[in-house]
Amino acid sequence: MNPRITAFGDSALMAELGEVFDESVAAWARTLALFWDLGPAVPAYTSVVVSFDPDQVDAEIAERKLRDLVDRGPTYVYEAEPDKPHAIRTRLVEIPTRYDGPDLDDVATRSGMSRDELIRVHSEREYSAIFLGFLPGWAYCARLDPRIIATRLPSPRPRVPAGSVGVVDGQTGVYPYPSPGGWRLIGSTEAVMFDANRSPASLIRAGDRVRFVPR
Amino acid sequence: MIRVEAPGFGSTVQDRGRPKHVRDGVPISGPADPFAFRAAQALVGNAAEDACIEAIGLPFSFRCETSRVIAVTGREVQVTVRDRLPGWTSIFVRAGDLVRVTGTERTRYAYIAVSGGVTTEVVLGSRSAYPRVGIGAVLRAGDALPLGDARRTAEYAGRHVTFTYPEDIAAIAGPHADRFADEALARFFSQPFRASPQSDRQGLRLEGPAIETPEGEMLSFGVVSGAVQVPRGGSPIVLLADHGTTGGYPVIATVATADLGSVAQRAPGETLRFYRVDRERALRLGRERAALLDTA
Repeated sequence: MNPRITAFGDSALMAELGEVFDESVAAWARTLALFWDLGPAVPAYTSVVVSFDPDQVDAEIAERKLRDLVDRGPTYVYEAEPDKPHAIRTRLVEIPTRYDGPDLDDVATRSGMSRDELIRVHSEREYSAIFLGFLPGWAYCARLDPRIIATRLPSPRPRVPAGSVGVVDGQTGVYPYPSPGGWRLIGSTEAVMFDANRSPASLIRAGDRVRFVPR
Repeated sequence: MIRVEAPGFGSTVQDRGRPKHVRDGVPISGPADPFAFRAAQALVGNAAEDACIEAIGLPFSFRCETSRVIAVTGREVQVTVRDRLPGWTSIFVRAGDLVRVTGTERTRYAYIAVSGGVTTEVVLGSRSAYPRVGIGAVLRAGDALPLGDARRTAEYAGRHVTFTYPEDIAAIAGPHADRFADEALARFFSQPFRASPQSDRQGLRLEGPAIETPEGEMLSFGVVSGAVQVPRGGSPIVLLADHGTTGGYPVIATVATADLGSVAQRAPGETLRFYRVDRERALRLGRERAALLDTA
């Protein structure tokens, strides 16, 4: 698909870079977000949404700037620190995890695995933090081993405790705050996923490598 | 210093917001009604980055320890300092005066700006409270809020901004307009919706004509204030200041920044209708609003 740029209201733009999620498209979205210097930029699976202040910059100029960035293509994809856009990023974040979630046995059964196999398969793999959203510090981590079968709960739990480790549709993540949630819960961590008074505030940042270490 | 006496229900300190941490999933926050916020700040001579009080659940009352120029804006707001005074006007308040802000059943948000700004702690580059994650807190009776040095003196009082909240809401189609059926889009831009009581700083929920949603799931994407999400079931949600940074429901249209406050201030049960504009017209509306502040 040719990348498509659409107005998102009067002071933001959306660049859609692909139709299906793959790590290279997501990395491209993250890189574009880092290079956007006119306002906030939010990368996601296949797109990036960038904002600008129409009092400071003409909307047409902002749009042309995004078009130019996108037209450079994904060839300059590398992970970078927000303050050092050209640094190569290889940070690994380890999440100490107790595999004690209420859905552990259910997910194991659906996946045709024993409980121990599920724990091994989930914790062996290194995930990529595709992007953050939903709540501060919530990182969408992919990809789950395709043998792990986890669909969204038919009706979400009204309150999932902070630190719950969940899986759904090829992804895994940690609830940073108590919240309603529809992911299947297989474990828990005491790691503080987000602390506004810490720097950086978020334990996992977009583009990090993530591992769950059984405790 | 000002001391809160009647805190309302859900009132917080807000500045322009926290745009630099969206990559970590942190909402931008800031005022739910950005134009009323800007007007209040302009009326007391504050700088763009200064903070003020966003009062919810009026009445809200407080005392200033020092004499200050203040202004209260928002929908259908009034101020009482000994006498009852209109909103959207700069007022000189003497040390110790009790200032009482009232509204009507149609007021959701009032902005109380004090010259010099409220100087509560800066967290992640902003004073905007986002109590959900322990950034700042909802104001309580007895809270003492520090102030910066006054930027204006008594002579600044008496300035006024004239503004009427528009009935109909300007919105730009998209970014997912082309995924909706033509009839769904036509229905969205013609039928009246009602504001649901289940609305807050994250979003205004709408009740009314069901909008048929496109087939299939969407991958999450970044969202902005004013985005009108249409979840399955068809009741749209207009995202406001505390919205999550990403969403997964198709966005049929996005409210013009100039009309965000008119959406946020819609009381439960009130109707609202969207009309379609292009980006040029939406931005022109914004410039017209900004020009109203030139008199302040």
